[in-house]
Amino acid sequence: MTSTALSAEGITRRGRRGETVLRVLRRPTAALAAIVVFLIVAGAIAAPLIAPYPPSKFDYSHLFASPSWSHPFGTDELGRDLVTRVLYGGRTSLEMAALATVIAMVFGSIWGFVAAFKKGWLGEVLMRIADLTLGMPVILLGLVLVAAFGSSILSLVVILGILFSPATARLARSALLAELESDYYLAATSVGAPPWRIVFEQLLPNTMPVLLARGSIVAADAIFIEASLSFLGLGVQPPKASWGTLLHVGYADLYSSYWYPLFPGLIIVIAVLALNTLGDNLQRALDPSRR
Amino acid sequence: MAIYVLRRVVTSIGLLFLSSVLIFVVLRLIPGDPTITKLGGGMTAVDPRAFQALRHQLGLDRSLTHQYLHWIGGIVRGDFGQSYFSQFPVTTLIKERAGSTLELAAAALFLGLLFAVPAAALGAIWRNRYFDAILSGFTAVGMSTPAFVNGLVLIVIFGVKLKLLPTQGYVSFENHPLESLKAVTLPAVTLAIAIAAPIMLILRSSLADVASAPYIRTAQGKGLLRYQVVLRHVLPNATIPALTMIGVIIGSLLGGSVIVEYVFARPGLGSLMVDAIYQRDYAVLQTLVLLAAGVFIISSLLIDLLYGVLDPRLRVQGREA
Amino acid sequence: MTQTSPSARAGEPVLDVRNLAVEFPYHAGTVRPVRGASFTVASRERLGLVGESGSGKSLTALSLMRLLPPPGRIAEGQVLMGGVDLAQLSERQMARVRGGRIALVGQDPMSSLNPVHSIGRQIVEAIRVHEDVSQRVARTRAIELLGQVGLPNPARRFDSYPHQFSGGMRQRVMIAIAISAGPEVLIADEPTTALDVTTQARIMDLLSSLVEEREMAVILITHDLGLAASFCDDIQVMYAGRIVERSRPGPLFSQPIHPYTEALLDAICRLDYDVSKPIAAIPGQPPLPQQLPSGCPFHTRCPHAFDRCSVEEPGAHVLPGGRMAECHLADERATAAA
Repeated sequence: MTSTALSAEGITRRGRRGETVLRVLRRPTAALAAIVVFLIVAGAIAAPLIAPYPPSKFDYSHLFASPSWSHPFGTDELGRDLVTRVLYGGRTSLEMAALATVIAMVFGSIWGFVAAFKKGWLGEVLMRIADLTLGMPVILLGLVLVAAFGSSILSLVVILGILFSPATARLARSALLAELESDYYLAATSVGAPPWRIVFEQLLPNTMPVLLARGSIVAADAIFIEASLSFLGLGVQPPKASWGTLLHVGYADLYSSYWYPLFPGLIIVIAVLALNTLGDNLQRALDPSRR
Repeated sequence: MAIYVLRRVVTSIGLLFLSSVLIFVVLRLIPGDPTITKLGGGMTAVDPRAFQALRHQLGLDRSLTHQYLHWIGGIVRGDFGQSYFSQFPVTTLIKERAGSTLELAAAALFLGLLFAVPAAALGAIWRNRYFDAILSGFTAVGMSTPAFVNGLVLIVIFGVKLKLLPTQGYVSFENHPLESLKAVTLPAVTLAIAIAAPIMLILRSSLADVASAPYIRTAQGKGLLRYQVVLRHVLPNATIPALTMIGVIIGSLLGGSVIVEYVFARPGLGSLMVDAIYQRDYAVLQTLVLLAAGVFIISSLLIDLLYGVLDPRLRVQGREA
Repeated sequence: MTQTSPSARAGEPVLDVRNLAVEFPYHAGTVRPVRGASFTVASRERLGLVGESGSGKSLTALSLMRLLPPPGRIAEGQVLMGGVDLAQLSERQMARVRGGRIALVGQDPMSSLNPVHSIGRQIVEAIRVHEDVSQRVARTRAIELLGQVGLPNPARRFDSYPHQFSGGMRQRVMIAIAISAGPEVLIADEPTTALDVTTQARIMDLLSSLVEEREMAVILITHDLGLAASFCDDIQVMYAGRIVERSRPGPLFSQPIHPYTEALLDAICRLDYDVSKPIAAIPGQPPLPQQLPSGCPFHTRCPHAFDRCSVEEPGAHVLPGGRMAECHLADERATAAA
């Protein structure tokens, strides 16, 4: 097989996966999830444009106001409009989740790829370390790391990234192993194609889709854990706000103004649900062995 | 078989040790002396002699290795050290609060299983598309909803609006059984919802795997009714691989109780941990985390051993031709 | 269209299948992997159902037991046993029929037994579904059955687990389970495919003796023509969801009427074959149920096809000697063969 023919097989597989993604989006739940994700991300990015009030506009005459037409989510302890706060809080939450996802995907992929290539003791050790955290509650690990490294935005993002790397590493390793055992890889190495070419032209493009599908789920988890940490007061610190911190503050006055934490809470659920659904559908479409 | 058990036990002990080292090291990595927090001020505002005295008292002026060995030595003797902040030994603190957490965990586990197992079994028996869709929906939403949102909704409905149940605090069961049950209801339901979702996910996946196995067709071919097939053949085979879900459940209970105790202001090991992090009380923190790791490692060990007992393929060796 | 069985050994008809059609919906519509199969089986008769993968033979068997995997369903036709149409029964009623009047032995003995129950327990269960007997009586019967299917030391084997047995032994257990409630019809779906040749022979002998002792009818489903030839009284060839030929083994092999049967037989490599000649494979592939050719489903691969074949699907032509073939040329070919 010439390397062009090899590329053809690699590319056909890529093409088929591209079709698969589009076909997934035809399913109503997946399409709905994708739309919701898009709306949430767009809302966060466009917050300065679409927020009804400037973020620091206090209104001391309307503290803890209940939802009304002028303040659909009510106001907070300083009279700030909660819709605005949810939008801006979303920016923080989503930014952090996005960065954490990138860190987890990159770090986890490298981890998993190395473990796949170096099947000897190095690969084993790497996977053992990844398996250590299997099943352990992420929130507890997160708490320990926050206790050790503090709650600055930087450390939170890095911590979140590290928390989700092992699972990504496991996925990356099995995805790469599947490629390494495929016929076209065997053919490519036996005709002596240079390793870099194989990696970039064949292996990476074929493992990408599975990893990207996973990325959606990692993002969902990152939002979840960040919100949990911030809710406990150990995540994002004031004056920065995220969805989790809104819940943290809102809890204090739960009896008198329960809508305060309710709306950010609902938004968290919607965002996590949408990202999970999207990722799940993509994963199922790309890996026919999963049901 | 005995060799297998021995090997697993040894590995577990090794893991425990490794965890203790990791925990100890990780918590010491960041600068930020608990002493300063305790004395309540920035570096400059503190009397250097009081500072040194306190450090000496807490044992913080010794080398790291020394501190670690001191800690481990204490644990082996059953002494978990002295909390940096309260005057009490860590052991006392833990003993005080363990009851509340165990009560919560037990109640949540009971409710969670009570809901998840029959729901999954019914799904396998009825095989109704709408019911399956509802279960899938519940699972998806359940896994996406943090416990504090669950708790929030429950508090608002039952505490604020209906004023039916208490929304905070803890009453020990021995003292006032009825009050205790009332106090644990909302927290337990909140936590139960959080663990029911992963339980159902694993159980349904396991049931689906087993339901497509050839021996299920054999069972149907004998003339068994559907519910008989599910109860006698599908379920027993599905729970064996689903034993891994015990590990997941315990993990979820450990993690979830931290949040739920905070939400419902229940004193327990979870809230102890959160407080310890705020105060940088390493003595308490390292012991709690080690405890959590220990629970986890031991439960993994027990699950492995349980597999050996339940699955005849592991129990009875040997093939006859 | 029913066919009466010509076998001398056979007793009364016990199963009468009329125009059976099986349908599966899928995202772009429905397919019919079985499109009108009709046959009868009499007690003590051994009917063979042969065909390639995808011909619809396994689905036919499953539909007789009403064990089609969802979303499959019986779309048309009747499955008559003792005057009752099994296709119309409720699930509860059908459960009584399964095992009691008609039973199935599958092709995968390695995974057809519940791994966490002892084999004795699984046989006892099969007995007690259809008969209200005590545990002890059922146990005795089960041990007896294990002996009848040729397992040595049946009393000791009762408490063993499936993983302790070889494939051949597990298949014997499967047969024991199937016959335990005394069914009138036993369907054997590729019962020996997963077994080695010597075990295969022994299992087939076992089936033979059981058929005689219990006056059961056997439907043997297989892709192995040789196996069908040695065991069956009558063979039906399936292609693209229909039974295209039915005949006794002798005439089927010496003078096949349907071109598909002829091509199948030609494709068998024999030891005395001239190795310089190419293997006579049938050109093309069997059609997918979603993409059936117009007219006769075999015409695209048939060396004798003519214009009528692509337009009109042939019906069943009854031929002398109790034979049948669905081919426009059936009558001419039968005359030429005689």
